[in-house]
Amino acid sequence: MMTRRDCLKTFGTGFGMTAFAQLAGAASVGPSIESNPLAPKAPHFPAKAKRVIFLFLNGGPSQVDTFDPKPMLDKYDGKPMPAGNLKTERKTGNLLKSPFGFKKYGQSGIEVSDIFSKIGSRIDDCCVIRSMYTDRPNHEPSLLLMNTGDKQVGRPSMGSWLTYGLGSENQNLPGFVVLCPGFPVIGPQLWASTFLPAVYQGTYIPNNEKTPDKLVQYIRNPELSLTEQRRQLDLLGELNKLHLQRAGQDRELEASIQAAEIAFRMQSEAPDVFDISKEPEKVRARYGDSDFGRGCLMSLRLIEKGVRMVQVYHGNSQPWDSHDDIMSHKRLARDTDGPVAALLEDLKLRGLLDETLVILSGEFGRTPVVEVSGLVKVQNGRDHNSHGFSTVLAGGGIKRGYVHGATDDFGFKAVEKPVHIHDLHATILHLMGFDHTKLTYRYSGRDFRLTDVAGNVVQEILG
Amino acid sequence: MKLLSLIAAFASLAGAAEQGNPAEYFELNVRPLLASKCYSCHTDSKSGGLQLDSREHLMAGGKSGPAIVPGNPDGSLLIQALRQTHPRLKMPPGGKLKDEQIDAVATWIKAGAVWPAGAAPAPPKYVISQEQRAFWSFKPVAQVTPPKVKDTKWAHNDLDRFILAKLEEKNLAPVRPADRRTLIRRAYLDLTGLPPTAEQVEAFTRDKSPDAFAKVVDSLLASPRYGERWGRYWLDIARYSDDKLNSTEDEPYANSFRYRDWVIDAFNSDMPYNTFVRAQIAGDQLPDKDKYIAGLGFYALSPEMQDDRVDATTRGFLGLTVACAQCHDHKFDPIPQADYYSLLGIFANTNLGQSPLAPKEQVDAYQAAKQKADDKKKDLDAFVKSQADSLAEILATRTSAYMLDVAGDATDKALDDDVRGKWKKYLSSPDKDHPFLKAWFAAKTPEERRTAATEFQALLIKVSAEKKLVDDKNHITLGLNPNRNDLSQANLVSMDRDRFFLWDNVFGERGLLHFGDGKIDRFLAGPWKEHQLQLHEELATLKKAMPPEYPYLQIIEDKKKLDVQKIWLRGDRNNPGAPAPPHFVSVLTTGDPKRFSQGSGRLELADAIADPANPLTARVFVNRVWQHHFGQGLVRTPSNFGAQGDRPSHPELLDYLAATFVKDGWSIKKLHRAIMLSATYQASAEPNEKNLAADPDNRLVWRFNRQRLDAETLRDDLLQVSGKLDLRPGGLAVHLGKDDFRRTVYSFVSRRKLESDFALFDFPNPNNTSEQRNATNVPPQRLYFMNNDWVIAQAKAVAARLRGDDAKRIDDAYQLLFQRAPSPQEKKLGLAFLAGQGTHAEQAWAEYTQVLLTSNEFQFLD
Repeated sequence: MMTRRDCLKTFGTGFGMTAFAQLAGAASVGPSIESNPLAPKAPHFPAKAKRVIFLFLNGGPSQVDTFDPKPMLDKYDGKPMPAGNLKTERKTGNLLKSPFGFKKYGQSGIEVSDIFSKIGSRIDDCCVIRSMYTDRPNHEPSLLLMNTGDKQVGRPSMGSWLTYGLGSENQNLPGFVVLCPGFPVIGPQLWASTFLPAVYQGTYIPNNEKTPDKLVQYIRNPELSLTEQRRQLDLLGELNKLHLQRAGQDRELEASIQAAEIAFRMQSEAPDVFDISKEPEKVRARYGDSDFGRGCLMSLRLIEKGVRMVQVYHGNSQPWDSHDDIMSHKRLARDTDGPVAALLEDLKLRGLLDETLVILSGEFGRTPVVEVSGLVKVQNGRDHNSHGFSTVLAGGGIKRGYVHGATDDFGFKAVEKPVHIHDLHATILHLMGFDHTKLTYRYSGRDFRLTDVAGNVVQEILG
Repeated sequence: MKLLSLIAAFASLAGAAEQGNPAEYFELNVRPLLASKCYSCHTDSKSGGLQLDSREHLMAGGKSGPAIVPGNPDGSLLIQALRQTHPRLKMPPGGKLKDEQIDAVATWIKAGAVWPAGAAPAPPKYVISQEQRAFWSFKPVAQVTPPKVKDTKWAHNDLDRFILAKLEEKNLAPVRPADRRTLIRRAYLDLTGLPPTAEQVEAFTRDKSPDAFAKVVDSLLASPRYGERWGRYWLDIARYSDDKLNSTEDEPYANSFRYRDWVIDAFNSDMPYNTFVRAQIAGDQLPDKDKYIAGLGFYALSPEMQDDRVDATTRGFLGLTVACAQCHDHKFDPIPQADYYSLLGIFANTNLGQSPLAPKEQVDAYQAAKQKADDKKKDLDAFVKSQADSLAEILATRTSAYMLDVAGDATDKALDDDVRGKWKKYLSSPDKDHPFLKAWFAAKTPEERRTAATEFQALLIKVSAEKKLVDDKNHITLGLNPNRNDLSQANLVSMDRDRFFLWDNVFGERGLLHFGDGKIDRFLAGPWKEHQLQLHEELATLKKAMPPEYPYLQIIEDKKKLDVQKIWLRGDRNNPGAPAPPHFVSVLTTGDPKRFSQGSGRLELADAIADPANPLTARVFVNRVWQHHFGQGLVRTPSNFGAQGDRPSHPELLDYLAATFVKDGWSIKKLHRAIMLSATYQASAEPNEKNLAADPDNRLVWRFNRQRLDAETLRDDLLQVSGKLDLRPGGLAVHLGKDDFRRTVYSFVSRRKLESDFALFDFPNPNNTSEQRNATNVPPQRLYFMNNDWVIAQAKAVAARLRGDDAKRIDDAYQLLFQRAPSPQEKKLGLAFLAGQGTHAEQAWAEYTQVLLTSNEFQFLD
């Protein structure tokens, strides 16, 4: 660890004072320094939510089998959808009831599918939006829209916007972390910073790797001890100082000096935070030993350390894409139900839920009618559905135990208080303290924003 | 006033039908409604047999009969469905329209359901005003005379006079010139991306002739290393990539590098920029096309989206954001929506293609050989499948015997051990995707088990037959062609879910009775075995005889049958409007733009862009070159010269450079030379209090901008000083971690998995055209230099190049890395470090050189 004397020795006085102030501020919050793009910044207005955990059930979970019960679907099972099917990606047939039961949970009595009974037990902390909709019934544009606000590649991701707007509370860790065993469809484009500076892009961590040292790139020197590296860094500081004296005052040169010191400290902090073996066995057991379970627990530890946004993808490619057989949702839920519930509970126990916005969603939903396309082997699954799906929010400034909006009688299309992805983004930014129309970045002569030219804050779901 | 006129307008709209303008009423009130609410199901896809896109279709109706009865809204099915008074038809699905919307349709039907002739109404004519045309970047490039300056000694050339005049206007003066070591280092890194050697610096420092620096610049421009660096900047704009953005799997291009190498060669050979532009848009249509056709990679390697092509074309060549006019007329620039679709249509009328770089016989031979091998593989697969299917059926007839054997009720020596093992595993858990083994697992006595097993066996045989029936039916539905590519909309039948899973568990690809290729062998005997062996051998022979795939260029070519692109209303392809025939950007033409008439129109587009009279092409390009030399452009939004873009800091200089560029035959090398021989370029990067206060961003170019080296230069420089750099040019992209010594420009660039080490140092994302590099300074970059194995290996290699005692080695290290001697203090620090690190001497040396490689002096260009 760096002592005050080390700092003075490294930086001397004068120019280094700003850097010193930042460094002496222990691990986390230091004064904002112009040259550090990740220094914490105040949002437009005070806000409850400070951090985001986005649990991404990639592939498109079915709303009528999870958070949007439809008794009419049971009643008309096997019959044609009155008024006909909406257009989706593939050919669909008659109504198909959910093979799972629904029960009321908690004080709020919100109905949740049996496959998510543990999430059900935390439902009083959640707001279920049952009237989400998006633009296209295809994974790629929908994943991009949900993550970047645009259907095509080329826009910065939500996590990039948030770290751009807020910086990070911990300078020893990346501000935006993405955990996925393997890659979701489209991959790194979903956490790219594109035209925002690269410092705001998501740090991708393939969390099927179990050794903490291997999770963060270049976090360990293969040969040197930290003491030996400290001497290297001291020499580097001295040489850079001499160079700076010759070059004259220069923000970029100073930023580079500072970045080296932070990097040194990251080496101690980063592996530790990814090391979930530091959690008691009792805690770990509730998350289970699946990739997603470990990811959820890591997200908790990262958030505790002040990381701005953590996104946890359920699995490689698109596990929730149940075209063939909706029964596979049961197996997928077995992997996710426990960890999500445990995360919500632990955030609350550790006093973090009020400041942490938790989002549970896929890129779209699924049809209440059976898919009959030639691409399925058995007709017991559901096609993609952009017209209506459910997203669950919890924590940071969200109204608790509340259901917002509704789909039609069969769960096909959002009809009551529909919420577009742009609206969701506007609301998330609002919860984080931003006017979504004003969090902009000028690129190629135009002001860009996450919500492009759309988006309305959904006032009713604010706590 | 405004409100009143609105009300008036509304009244006139509402009354339009009665007041004798039914066509207008339809266009304003009915067509938009049909388009937004009904067309998604009732145009080409004819949901319920009904199409709502013409009066004829409405009259013809669908399965339930005619949709409208003109003059009688209440008797029209359409109105009943919309009002949802019809017992069965309730439209649109998921939400009734507003009453006033339904009333509008009713009013229209009542007035006779007039559907104006012609596909769609002509949009109002878009007019570009004189004022809009007078915007600075649309005005012709002016012939400017360099201004007079007070200080007559400072300027080296005309370019400097523009810079100095502005500074003098503000009472500022440029900083002193850079010292010779800094200058030559700057020139080397800038033009070639590699530092000079100590000897080269020494020679230049000693050369007192007036053209000493000009000689250096000329030699660097003549070096093949120049194209490798400056070609790469163009590849940023061309969003060059070595793979496709396939969403689920890697899909590398075999021949993308040929475009990359063509770009590098174009820079090295100083291909005139106008030719360079024309080649990339229409190289296949130029005389001498063999020299230019590779340029089409600009489009052939683009992400598979036509609109990306409009974006890359207009931002890349013209500095115009025409893609902003996709959904509506451009909000800020005089670019009508029709312009966007005019350009889109040009690219929509092209296909991806190959231009083989081998004689026709070689291409034909490869394709024929591949066809043969593919056919043989098909034969083999078909044979194995038929055998595997028969075997599974035979084994299925023994199901109960295996089950009872596994249960220990009866032993049968004739059973196959392998199959027995599989049944044992399958029956070890009752957790199944189907319910058909419930009786088996519930059975308590051997007798009950026997019954359950017998029934299960019978079911298996039945399910197998059922599956065949279903497959046959679907085969017929598909027109006996299982390779139809529209399976997502095919109307096929399937088995019951539970029975399918039973079938899949037992007979499917991974089913327990399925023995595919490699596993079936031991079951085959006699002529069957011989046949299989023979097929395998024949396939192996064919594969061995197959020549390597012939090389080809990835190109685009005009479609044989051309379509006229339509405007997509609100950017929605399902909502086509008026046709947008191909023509050039309106504001860049005088009068109405002339319709392109040759094929897709690419050549005419290329000529219009490369026309010396085009006010943007030369301005945009010289600004890009300026930007890369100085770290920022005269216009700081290099791909947007529109209203929302930056205004030039020195408009006269920009015009002077553009005009000179064209006059010099669009020679890029002459442009570099003019810039680099200027006093402006040769200024030092040192700060100056007065200038900083007046112009902190250095827009007036009173000093040179210090720049963090970009990803490629950092990596190449490490290799240069470690002595490992492999200068072989061109060829197939190499992968980091495999071939670690080639110049970075030859590394694989992936759209799908952006190389994280490159992205770390702000290498641009190749999914979009990119106009400039960010230069961030963040901790993860420092981690890379502290801990990356490859960096450490280069540090060791640098140390190994240095000979003698520590003092001499420090001197040599400074010469090698910085082309200067260390100061006494630097030397002292180095010696102290080496003495105190306590590790083995060579190890300490590697640690020391690593520090030098990580230092700001190495990583920044002064």
